[in-house]
Amino acid sequence: MKVKILQLLFYALGAVLICVLLSWGKPPKIIGLFIVSGLAVGSLYALGGIGIVVLYRATGVLNFANGAVGAFGVMLAWQLAQIGWPGPLTWLVGILSATALSLAYGLLIAPKLAWRDNVVKAVATLGFALVVLGLTAFIWEDDVRRLSLPTDKQAVVIMGLRITVTRMIVVSAAIAFVLGIWLFLTHTRIGLQMRALANNRDISALIGVPIFKVETIAWSISGLIAGFTGLMFGDLIRLEPSVITFMVIPSIAAAICGRLDNLALVLIGGLFIGVIESLSTLSPLIKQVRPIAPFVIAAIALIWMQRSQKLIFSRDS
Amino acid sequence: MKITRSGYAGIAFTLALLILLPMLANGQWVKVFTSASCFTLAAAGVAFMYSRLGMVSLGQVALMGIGGWVMLRMNHAFNFPFEVNLIIAASVTMIFGWVLALPALKMRGLYLALITLMAAGGIEVILSTYRFPNGGTGFWGVIPSVAAPFRRPMIAASDSAYLQYVIVIVALCFALIDIHRRTAPGRAWAMIRRSEAAALASGVNIVYYKAWAFGLSGLLAGIAGALLAGSIGLLDAATFRASESIMLFALAVVGGARFWLGAVIAGILYRVLPALFNDWGLDADLTLIIFGAALLHAIITAPDGISGQIIGLTSKFKRGTP
Repeated sequence: MKVKILQLLFYALGAVLICVLLSWGKPPKIIGLFIVSGLAVGSLYALGGIGIVVLYRATGVLNFANGAVGAFGVMLAWQLAQIGWPGPLTWLVGILSATALSLAYGLLIAPKLAWRDNVVKAVATLGFALVVLGLTAFIWEDDVRRLSLPTDKQAVVIMGLRITVTRMIVVSAAIAFVLGIWLFLTHTRIGLQMRALANNRDISALIGVPIFKVETIAWSISGLIAGFTGLMFGDLIRLEPSVITFMVIPSIAAAICGRLDNLALVLIGGLFIGVIESLSTLSPLIKQVRPIAPFVIAAIALIWMQRSQKLIFSRDS
Repeated sequence: MKITRSGYAGIAFTLALLILLPMLANGQWVKVFTSASCFTLAAAGVAFMYSRLGMVSLGQVALMGIGGWVMLRMNHAFNFPFEVNLIIAASVTMIFGWVLALPALKMRGLYLALITLMAAGGIEVILSTYRFPNGGTGFWGVIPSVAAPFRRPMIAASDSAYLQYVIVIVALCFALIDIHRRTAPGRAWAMIRRSEAAALASGVNIVYYKAWAFGLSGLLAGIAGALLAGSIGLLDAATFRASESIMLFALAVVGGARFWLGAVIAGILYRVLPALFNDWGLDADLTLIIFGAALLHAIITAPDGISGQIIGLTSKFKRGTP
């Protein structure tokens, strides 16, 4: 345990060092601004990663459709707002529609593949992602759209920095989701069963864990998170189905930082990726290639994690 | 080496394409078929990795981008003939394939797929930032205005001759894959696929043969990307997004990874179907829905894809029980 904490401190020190290097010699106000925007983007990556990891732990499905269902949800919310529905209702319908799509896949298609390889399950969700993306892009043709939440205009000032409430919401939501899911996993019966499934599927089935029920709950939680992430992504970054759909790739990078297993590490990894990506704007040398941050960080994390082990991931047998 | 029935079918198919395609297709369609042939070759690379070794590579189109980049770079920097550039582009991409294999060798299944996806994401960013050389100065060689001319092979300067040239090379590469399948590497791969422990116990050098597979797949992607560069003489970074690599893998599964016909079907679906939809005035987004549904269908009920179903049908027909 002590070694583990020391290691974590070591990582944190390294992360801070990189941030200091990137922002060396810039006025603190600008640095603060970039860190805040980086934290917001990083929270989106982390949220995506959390949704993926929760589902992966419980069902063994790495869901490539996570971004696609979120994209559908946010586009639906935009459409409803266009025809005059009140704001909160549109967000709710958007998030719930994403949840419903995710659940539909989980109930109708995923059981047919339950005993196949993890990689086959992941590829199947790709098919679902393509169907949902095709449908979304077909309904809402390419166009410049904007979705703005009322919280975009409200802001709080912390240490001289103006931070919009939307950004505060995503960062705190990411933290809240991690805490909430951790409490859920450790303090409820379903959470216990979910952990059992994550550990060993076959034995859990043998001792009578209600797999179908637990998986249904996992699909709903991950769909809910995907819907929320899509909504926030549409507001903070871009409202375009294909962009939101393939946001799943950097989300997977965040998930890799947590070994597809540890939610707290996914959160830290996602935030770190976001901050580095944002701070890279300050360096003329790597400014242009800054979107590469998630992949480089995920690759380094992978190589670092495998240095002394034969197999990197705990569930890779 | 004996030519199998499938081999004869492949040769007949290649000859038919060589004669018929340039006759039937005109203008834009020649380019569509050229590009479909290039992607067929790339799909053959992922398909053999998937069917022979059970490895999922989600970085094939990104590797094609590297091949295409090297091709254009060589073309605008030196005065070598097309074939020399092609060989250099293919070799460089093969080395990239090996580099990719290094961290991937310890991983299996899903995690291998993820690391290739991360690589594809990284390459996408590099390519879209620095773009493809079009005759400018310096290492990256990009000029904003018109592009310098591209030298096609001497024997295939016109569009339709170039299409035939590409088809011949793709057919030769299919033969290369089949030679691998039947000799020592193929046997080693088959064993690794069944069980790494068993392969290790019987003296198969797992690292060596896995790296070999990555190298071969990279080589095919490099040739495909270099040939694609010759189609218009320009490349666009949007062609090589990470999402395209995912799509190509999906289509290789839909086509059927075990047969050469599967790669051909993947190439056709990837390039010809959207062009057809465009021609008919249909939304290209609809092709995504078809691809996705076909992928789900292939995974759940038809593990050998469309080509497996076609081949199953013909062999049933032969036995007289349709």
